[in-house]
Amino acid sequence: MTPFENASDRSVVDLAGVAAERALEDGDYSRAEITSVHVGNALSEGLGTQAGLANALSSALGVEGVRSDRIENTSATGASAVHRGVEAVASGQSDVALVVGVEKMSVGETADVTDSIRQLVHPREYEQGLTLPSFAGLAANVYLDRYDAPHDALAAVAEKNHRNAVDNPVAQFQKRISVDDVLESPVIADPLRLYDCCPMTDGAAALVLSREEGVQVTSIASATGTHAVAARPDPLAIESVRLAGERTFDGVDLERDDVDVACIHDAFTVLELLELEELGFYDAGTAWEATLDGKTRLDGELPVNPGGGLKARGHPLGATGISQLIELVWQLRGDLPDQRRVPDAEVGFAINVAGFGNNSVCTLLES
Amino acid sequence: MTDSNDTAEFDSIPVDHAFVCADCGHRWYYTRRRCPDCGGTDVSTYELAVGELIAWTENRVTPADIRSPNRLGLARFGEVQLIAQLSDDEVSVGDQVAFEGAYHLRHGSETPKPRLTPLE
Ligand SMILES: [Zn+2]
Repeated sequence: MTPFENASDRSVVDLAGVAAERALEDGDYSRAEITSVHVGNALSEGLGTQAGLANALSSALGVEGVRSDRIENTSATGASAVHRGVEAVASGQSDVALVVGVEKMSVGETADVTDSIRQLVHPREYEQGLTLPSFAGLAANVYLDRYDAPHDALAAVAEKNHRNAVDNPVAQFQKRISVDDVLESPVIADPLRLYDCCPMTDGAAALVLSREEGVQVTSIASATGTHAVAARPDPLAIESVRLAGERTFDGVDLERDDVDVACIHDAFTVLELLELEELGFYDAGTAWEATLDGKTRLDGELPVNPGGGLKARGHPLGATGISQLIELVWQLRGDLPDQRRVPDAEVGFAINVAGFGNNSVCTLLES
Repeated sequence: MTDSNDTAEFDSIPVDHAFVCADCGHRWYYTRRRCPDCGGTDVSTYELAVGELIAWTENRVTPADIRSPNRLGLARFGEVQLIAQLSDDEVSVGDQVAFEGAYHLRHGSETPKPRLTPLE
C-alpha cells in the first residue's frame, strides 16, 4: 500500500499503480500472472478526476487483456472489491486476482467531498440536511444515555487508535492524542468532536488473491441495511453489521473467541463500540467499559485497530477496507516490530461499513 | 421504466406525512414504493400528530445550504421513526414534539416547511 496522507502529489492512477506494484512484489507475482483486476474507488468521477479507472489502471500496469472492473460501495468500497476478487478466485474464474483500492479526497474542496458523501443519504434525510456525523452524534447520545456511559469512553477509542498508529509508517497521523485532546476539540455533532471523527485521506492499498500458500481468507460476507437510518427500530442496532458478521462465522470452524485481532470500522468513535457489540464480541452496552479497561488495546484480550483504524491510519474510502486486511496480514504473518505486533495472532477479523450502516462487509483471515 | 410523474408525486409528500399500507396497516416514513412488510403497493399518506423525542444533536459542520448549527431530533410517532430539524426552542429527551411552523429547511428552498417543535 502507499502511505495514507492528507494530500498526495500522485494522481489517482499513479497511487493505485504504486500500491499494486508493491503488492505484486510482496507476493512475488509477476504482472503476467495476473488474470483479473478488481478496482475499488468511490469518488473519482464525483470529484472530477479519472473516470474509467479500472481500464486506466490496467493499462498503466501493463496488464491489458485481463478482466478488470471497478467496484463502488461508498465507505465499504475496499472490502467489496476484495469480496469480488475472492469470488473470482474461489469460482475458478480467476487464478491471480489483483485487488486495488484508491481514493484521492484532497482534489475536492472539503465542501465538495462532504457534498459527495451526503448524497449517500435517503432523499427525506437529505431534505433535513443530515450528514454522517449527525447520525453518529444521535447514536452517541442514545448510547451514553442508555448505558450510563461517560463521554470519556468515546474519547478513549480515539486515544487508543492514535496510540496504535504511532509506529505505523503508513498511518496518516503517527501521533498520540490524549482523552482531553479529544474532549477539547471542536464540536462536530454533539457529543462528538473533531477527534471522534475520521479524517479525509489520500491513499491506495492493494493485495493479491490466489490459491497459493499464505494467509487464508476463511470467509467473507456482506449485507445491506435500511437506507434511512431512522427507519431502524433501535437507534443503536445496525442490522447490516450484525448480518454480515453472522454470515462470516456461519459454517466456519471459528467463534468470536477465536479472533486474536480485529480491524473495526471506526469512522466515528461510537461506531467502534456499536460494531463490537453488534458483531457479538461484546454484549450490548459493555464495549465502552471494555475499552476504558484497556481490553481492546494492543496488549488487551482483543486488540482492536492495531494499525490505528480509520481514525489515525486514515480513511481513503476505496482503500480503507483493503488496508484493514493488509494490517491483518502483517499481524498474522508476524512481520511487524514488537511494539506494534499482537503476539501469536492466528485469526484476524475485519469489518468495513458503508454509510452509517447501509452495507457492511466482514472478513475472517487465518494464518 | 419509471413514470417521472410518480417521482414528482413522492417528492411532494409533506415533511409531516408518513405512509400507511392499505393491505396490512404497516406504517413508515422513508419513501418506498412498496410496503416494507407485505410488499403491497396500495399505499396512502397520513399526517403525523404528536411524537416523542428520543435523542437530539446539534450538528455544527453542515452542508453549505443548511443552517449552522443544525439542531436535529430523532423522534418516534407511534411505529414511525424519523430524524428532522428541530426548532430553536429548548428541548429534552422524552419531550412530546410535533411538526409546526414554516421554515426554509435548505437555503434557497421554495416551500417553507415545519420543524419538530416541543409541545407545551
Ligand atoms: Zn403492507
